[in-house]
Amino acid sequence: MTPPRLSSSRQRLLQDRVATGLITAGGVGVLLAILAIGVFLVWETLPLLVIGDTLALAKLSPLAWGTLKAALAALLFAIPVALGAAIYSALFMSARLRSRIKPALEMMEAIPGVVVGFIAGLILAPWVERHLASALMLIIWLPLSAALAGLLWQLAKTRLRRRLPLSWAGLWLVPWFVFMVAIALWLAPWLEQHWLGGDLRQLLDQRYGMDYATRNALIVGIAMGFAVIPSIYSLAEDALADVPSTLIEGAQALGASRWQALWKVALVAAGPGIFSAIMIGAGRAVGETMIVLMASGNTALFSASPFEGMRSMAAAIAIELPEASPGSQTYHLLILAALVLFIFTFLVNTLAEVVRQRLRRRYRQIGGTL
Amino acid sequence: MTSVSANSASRHPRFSRVNDLWPWLCAASVALSLLMLGALLTLLLVRGLGHFWPATLEEITLSSGETFAGQAVREVALPQQDGDERLYFTGNQDIDGVRWRWVAIDEIVERAQPTDLIRLDRSPWGDFIGRLVAIEQHGQRWEGDAAWQQLATLLKLPANQRQESQLLLTTVDGQILRQPLANVVSAQTPNAMAWWQKTFAWGDAVWRFLSEGPRAANTDGGVWPAIFGTVLMVILMSVIVTPFGVLAAIYLNEIAHQGRLTRLVRIGVRNLAGVPSIVYGVFGLGVFVYGVGGSLDEWFFSDTLPSPTFGTGGLLWASLTLALLTLPVVIVATEEGLARIPEAQREGAVALGATRLEMLTRIVLPMAAPAMLTGVILAVARAAGEVAPLMLVGVAKLAPQMPIDGEFPYLHLERKFMHLGYHLFDTAFHGEDVQAAIPLVYATALLLVLIVLVLNLTAIFLRHYLRRQRGNEC
Repeated sequence: MTPPRLSSSRQRLLQDRVATGLITAGGVGVLLAILAIGVFLVWETLPLLVIGDTLALAKLSPLAWGTLKAALAALLFAIPVALGAAIYSALFMSARLRSRIKPALEMMEAIPGVVVGFIAGLILAPWVERHLASALMLIIWLPLSAALAGLLWQLAKTRLRRRLPLSWAGLWLVPWFVFMVAIALWLAPWLEQHWLGGDLRQLLDQRYGMDYATRNALIVGIAMGFAVIPSIYSLAEDALADVPSTLIEGAQALGASRWQALWKVALVAAGPGIFSAIMIGAGRAVGETMIVLMASGNTALFSASPFEGMRSMAAAIAIELPEASPGSQTYHLLILAALVLFIFTFLVNTLAEVVRQRLRRRYRQIGGTL
Repeated sequence: MTSVSANSASRHPRFSRVNDLWPWLCAASVALSLLMLGALLTLLLVRGLGHFWPATLEEITLSSGETFAGQAVREVALPQQDGDERLYFTGNQDIDGVRWRWVAIDEIVERAQPTDLIRLDRSPWGDFIGRLVAIEQHGQRWEGDAAWQQLATLLKLPANQRQESQLLLTTVDGQILRQPLANVVSAQTPNAMAWWQKTFAWGDAVWRFLSEGPRAANTDGGVWPAIFGTVLMVILMSVIVTPFGVLAAIYLNEIAHQGRLTRLVRIGVRNLAGVPSIVYGVFGLGVFVYGVGGSLDEWFFSDTLPSPTFGTGGLLWASLTLALLTLPVVIVATEEGLARIPEAQREGAVALGATRLEMLTRIVLPMAAPAMLTGVILAVARAAGEVAPLMLVGVAKLAPQMPIDGEFPYLHLERKFMHLGYHLFDTAFHGEDVQAAIPLVYATALLLVLIVLVLNLTAIFLRHYLRRQRGNEC
């Protein structure tokens, strides 16, 4: 580097002052702009307070219910799968496989919501409608078949076990699952005929009076669960992998089995991290727009049935806001819905972040004392 | 480790047998996720790319004696009775009024694949499936093989140079059609083509999908305007988001006093990445479109009011909204890069007499450049796949004009634009003939996923490379 010319030192200092000032102004400006989102949303919902009628509640409550139902359906599917995957890849998977699988699963997050929504709404939903029994059977059959794989493996000869170790099971179970799915799809119509004596959908309608909508909570749960899995997985995996290995090794040295060490020590230690992962997942499920919009039928209903649709707040905003004239009551109501989403996700994320930072500090302490 | 579990297994055989199944369920979750991801990508690849492959055409004779020609699409079970029915794409909407036909398989007497069946891609009226009898041009007439060769040479000319030619066509059941050649986009005889000819035809069809505009209410043609709109919007967005994101990151990391307030602000910024995109859309609509846009209209475009110029959704507002949406991504990535730079580098620079500005521009920023780039690429990837906020701030299902053209000021920031993601949503859910549009929707979805995945992979490799490089340095 060329040495600075002394003559211009005052000019350099001046430049520095100006630049620092500009950066500060720019930085603060950007932060203020971000703050402006909250301010704007609050400001635009103030007129509702002045009007002060109960219409807001009547209009928003089905939407809130729909949002909760969609998020709950997604989490019911996503939490077991994501946490299972996180536990497996943090504690059982071979390091080489893990370095490949983890980015691949995180890549799931990048798949745009429109694409997932399109597949769910136009391909999956009609298929499930025609083959409801098969779809439900798959949901029960897949975990069972995984347990079956485990049982068979324990009965298998040592040579086979060595060839197909548990540390690579995440990969070689994929063809096993393809096989099992094929079996389930082949068996399901036959079982439906014999046990239920015909079409499951008609049975539901006649015996329990349950309506079946093509695009329903089941579809939304699967589709949005698919979208939420990677965010829960990634954070929970980080939390589990960061558990100091001394803890687990210590537990095992004291006679715990691998699963006991995991269940009683690792999961407890990583508990806050897993909690924050689920919170982030919930935040994502509540705010996801396109998947609910495309896969839920968008009917504002109060129904807990998994075979009926719903309309979430995000979807309602996307559909109705472009048509609402600015200043009208619908406009303010929809902005209130946006404010609710904003506050909810912001709180949930803050909580998750605080918990995670505290956890990181605790790990550092444990790692330091040992 | 295995010995430990084997030990406990011998002591409490039953208990640990059940417990030993849990790891398998966990492994199954990974396998299930991989399976779903793989199934989704395979489905998109097969259906998205397969659509362009020249499909075999069949000539069907029914038990009633009726004949028709078409492309078999899929089979489903007949409602309320045994047997299957098959869906055929028959084209010829100008003659039959419909393009699809369901036929019970039992009714089919004969399925043939004659090599002289042709498929014309026309605009308007979509596909024609049938036979070519003759071509007439300036009183000349070609028939048979000569007609087909003449058709191939004529189709290479631009549409306005083949005004006077006419095709004489017959459908399989003998109806005659005179088709002006100017409306024909392409022609092929799929049953007579060898596999390499089909490959060329496939490449040609893919290229036309990427380079042409949509036709027939988005159910046919290509997605070029949508690609163009997406790319332009994303470029504008990065131009806005990069400087501001980097500025904010530098301020937070290098200038601001590292106290409790800064930490709170940092958490806040990080959390904004988790705020639903639709909320940004609402903000964009309320502030940019109605607020700023409305005022701009009053001040500068009052002569065209009440029809809005900037007071409605448009390219500028969409880019600004997405820039705000991706700001946290850029800030977080840049800050990560800045935090990785060893403090000794900064102290060394200052000790040698550099001012803070010089230290920043000559030492810190060059070292943090890959991190910034990673952040911008991630931001672009997120913006390219985002649809919900765009629905509020300026995307159009069919934009009559491109946002860039030869008219002053060349870049029209107030115009609406087309976007791949919204195009997908709109054709899949609001089209007239969804059945016909679905193959194109698959192709669009594949394109969108490919763009986003490639961008993400670039960011991952860049980050990986960066970490490894830093690791060697330290």
